[in-house]
Amino acid sequence: MSMVSTAPSRRRRVKIDPWRWVGRIFLLFLLTFTVLPMLWMVLTSIKSQFAAMQYPPQWWPAEPTLQNYAKLLDPNGSTGQEFLRYFWNSFYVSMVTTILGVIVAVPAAYAFSRFTFPGRTFLFFSVLLRNMFPSVVFLMPLFLLMRWMGLVNTHGSLILTYLTFGLPLSIWLLKGFFDNIPIQLEQAARIDGATRFQAFFFIVMPLSTPGIIATSIFSFIGAWNEYVYAYTFLSKQDSMTLPVGIQRFFTEFATDWPGLMAATFLMSVPVVVLFLVLQKYFVRALTEGAVKH
Amino acid sequence: MAQVVLKEIVKQYGSLYAVNNVSLTVEDGEFVALVGPSGCGKTTTLNLVAGLLPMTGGDVLIGDRNVTDLDPKDRDIAMVFQNYALYPNKTVYKNLAFPLQMRKLSKAEIDTKVMDAAKVLDIVHLLQRKPRELSGGQQQRVALGRALVRDPQVFLMDEPLSNLDAKLRVQMRTELKRFHQDLKATVIYVTHDQLEAVTMADKMAVMSGGFLQQYDSPKNVFEHPVNMFVASFVGSPAMSLIPLEAINTGGKIALSSSEGWQLPLSEANSKKAQTASTSKIVLGARHSTLQLHKSKESNSVPGRVYTVEPTGDVTFVQVFLGGATVIVSLDPSVDVKSDQEVWIEFDQERLHLFDGETEMALTDP
Ligand SMILES: Nc1ncnc2c1ncn2[C@@H]1O[C@H](COP(=O)(O)OP(=O)(O)OP(=O)(O)O)[C@@H](O)[C@H]1O
Ligand SMILES: [Mg+2]
Repeated sequence: MSMVSTAPSRRRRVKIDPWRWVGRIFLLFLLTFTVLPMLWMVLTSIKSQFAAMQYPPQWWPAEPTLQNYAKLLDPNGSTGQEFLRYFWNSFYVSMVTTILGVIVAVPAAYAFSRFTFPGRTFLFFSVLLRNMFPSVVFLMPLFLLMRWMGLVNTHGSLILTYLTFGLPLSIWLLKGFFDNIPIQLEQAARIDGATRFQAFFFIVMPLSTPGIIATSIFSFIGAWNEYVYAYTFLSKQDSMTLPVGIQRFFTEFATDWPGLMAATFLMSVPVVVLFLVLQKYFVRALTEGAVKH
Repeated sequence: MAQVVLKEIVKQYGSLYAVNNVSLTVEDGEFVALVGPSGCGKTTTLNLVAGLLPMTGGDVLIGDRNVTDLDPKDRDIAMVFQNYALYPNKTVYKNLAFPLQMRKLSKAEIDTKVMDAAKVLDIVHLLQRKPRELSGGQQQRVALGRALVRDPQVFLMDEPLSNLDAKLRVQMRTELKRFHQDLKATVIYVTHDQLEAVTMADKMAVMSGGFLQQYDSPKNVFEHPVNMFVASFVGSPAMSLIPLEAINTGGKIALSSSEGWQLPLSEANSKKAQTASTSKIVLGARHSTLQLHKSKESNSVPGRVYTVEPTGDVTFVQVFLGGATVIVSLDPSVDVKSDQEVWIEFDQERLHLFDGETEMALTDP
């Protein structure tokens, strides 16, 4: 008996934490939920039209083919031309939105973070006010506004709209970044011989790269995926963006599911690539908030 | 190197005067320590000299130029910040090179100057590291190096040693002093730590509540504090202050306590006491000027021991006396106990008298 009381138990008890398992199962469920449709999309996109419509479904394509992709990316075929046109339109709109967004958001966020000026708090919260309403609410007013300005059926209308919707979040995120960069760094730079702008450009900007990149990704994806406004503002076929274009394109004929899936897959490629390339910064942006000094 | 003159500088934040009408002159090559309790406006003053904050009023002169309206970059100053403010994404080399790049020096010149400064500060082996890969002391050297490379007119330092551990602080203190002597640099140095001020500075500026209280050599500030604030702020342990009542005893003045004893003042001190605006007088004495007796002696006043704090070299004894606590330093061999009755003798030559109303030091009429 004395042995029992003195010797520590050899068997290590593995504590089963039920919540941990619930968590894991939930994550697994989420994973399935997001990955399965993607998987099905990719599988369908390499099937033939006939195979895609079979019932019971072919789980695994019997004769995988890349023909759907070839058709979409063929600049000589009519389908390919249209698809590439939409792709380019989407890319153009998203890119311009992102670049303009950064150009406006960076100085704005910096000003909110560093300067005190009359109406600063009011302005900052009015920037956020837009985000309290669902964006569809603004559909009709913005459409009327665009028509009045003669911007309907131009990419400008979309770029302006996306900027309006994207900027508040960008400014807010970036301000957080700038807030976390010690003001002494700029002061040191100014004493070291930099102007205010140089201090910002050489010292603050490089330190806030993760933040700038994260906000860029946000505004790019927002613009890239947007559907309702693009659908409303653009009716000319050759100015349409991908989300609208794809839909239009494929319902004209009897729905070509493999083609549609291939197009959708191609549409997701830029976003995924963007994420993979910039992931490092993105994670840093979300976890650190800014530079640890 | 150059003289720095502050003329009635004022900095106001809303209704708060962070710096209030401060005027002082730092001579060419002088090392001036700016001391005072937290929030008294030391950093603000330094930032005003640097031009990092817009001034509410006043002028700053560096050398023979009025720099009041100049940008920090045009003032030809260097600054060492409390948190060092090293550029975290640049290597040590690039940190040191940055001020030179901004002044458009050639690559070769930059390289020579950076290497020179690095050699002086013994950080050559760290040049390729990023600031976060350095220890506190090394970061401190780099910060100093960034100030050194440029050979500016004035060095401004905001508590550069406060983030270091005690041992390193003492070492860096010596090095800073050495560096000042070698360069004959004009330095304005902010510190919390009055030991730093006393050991390094030619002059000491004591601030409180945005006001400059006293500006003099550490010795004079220590020996002749102008008011009760300076008296209690400078020196460690602080000067003991005892509020008493002045009574006239046939031409001479005696200080009388609520406990009933009287301390007759010497002739010189009586004259000082007569200049007071009120009969309330505060007696100040440093621990080293007091003598503790275990039995009653003439010219001594009774008190009771409160605590005994041996520190090794000396023992500090706190004594309740006249409604205040008085600190006396003793040889460790002297044996006193808490609650023991003791008699304290004041040194008439070295005691301080303050006006109980204005808190100003009473001086010879
Ligand atoms: N940007 C600001 N806005 C409002 N008040 C400020 C600002 N900066 C400083 N103050 C106030 O000005 C006063 C002086 O501040 P300062 O930083 O100069 O103190 P300090 O003497 O350097 O203190 P410490 O020893 O703690 O560094 C403080 O009361 C502070 O609260
Ligand atoms: Mg300070």
